[in-house]
Amino acid sequence: MSRIKKIIFLALLVALGLALSIIESTIPVPFIAPGAKLGLANIVSLITLVIFGFKSAITVAILRSITFTLATGNFSSLFYSLSGSVLSVIVMFCIYKYFSSYFSLIGVSIFGAIAHNVAQISVASIIMENIKIFSYLPIMSLTSLFTGYFVGLSSIFITDKFKKVLNKALY
Amino acid sequence: MTKWDKLLIVFVLVASLLGLYYVKGIASNNSTKYILIEVDGEQYKKISFGNNMIGETIEVKTEYGYNKLEIGDGRVRIIEADCPDKLDVKQGWISNPGQVIVCLPNRLVVEIITENNEDKELDYMSY
Repeated sequence: MSRIKKIIFLALLVALGLALSIIESTIPVPFIAPGAKLGLANIVSLITLVIFGFKSAITVAILRSITFTLATGNFSSLFYSLSGSVLSVIVMFCIYKYFSSYFSLIGVSIFGAIAHNVAQISVASIIMENIKIFSYLPIMSLTSLFTGYFVGLSSIFITDKFKKVLNKALY
Repeated sequence: MTKWDKLLIVFVLVASLLGLYYVKGIASNNSTKYILIEVDGEQYKKISFGNNMIGETIEVKTEYGYNKLEIGDGRVRIIEADCPDKLDVKQGWISNPGQVIVCLPNRLVVEIITENNEDKELDYMSY
């Protein structure tokens, strides 16, 4: 794969993730917990991880967080989204690389969603200087079970199709 | 979806439910509730609730008069007073933050307060 084509595809993925983040922030959350999200942008991280590898995935995650902050203009959300997406990519990479014989993409994405929540809650407790925020963790991990499942399911379908498209486009 | 995925889902489910149960246990205990005793507008004593405090009595003897408080399980009342109409004794137990017992002749105010900020109403929340 030529370098320039790879860069173009990664840029497209960043744009896709940004669009998904913005769309998902306009969807009202049907759960009790404020701050619970569908995690649609995690689909992009997972696809990038599977197809392009760890380095590209973490680059896309960081760029998506920064562009999302620029798009919404809410600076304090930078730390939350940055820490969450970076940690979830790291965890998903470890699970995908070393335990992929055990877990399918659904398991990988559930791990990613939980890591995302843990990172965000840690950052929130540091920023607000209040350790009691961690009492949110059970309800967040419960919701991340459902969102993680659907993110994993859609990633399985998308990676199949995306690999075919890539093969046609690149070779 | 593999066998391990299902195991992971069951594990997370059980862990979250246990966590919820545990958090609920923390949220309902009284460790952040205090009894504040004020005499003539000044703080006389501040007591936190605890299991070792159940049944304890506290005597407040000041130049204005004499009152005796009894602490229960997350609640407090006045059982003896030397004031004329004993309104404070008749009021009985108080248990919720913000509730007060006042003994005007003895210039005594017993109030239940909390010291965590989460109980205060939020002005703004952002994610």
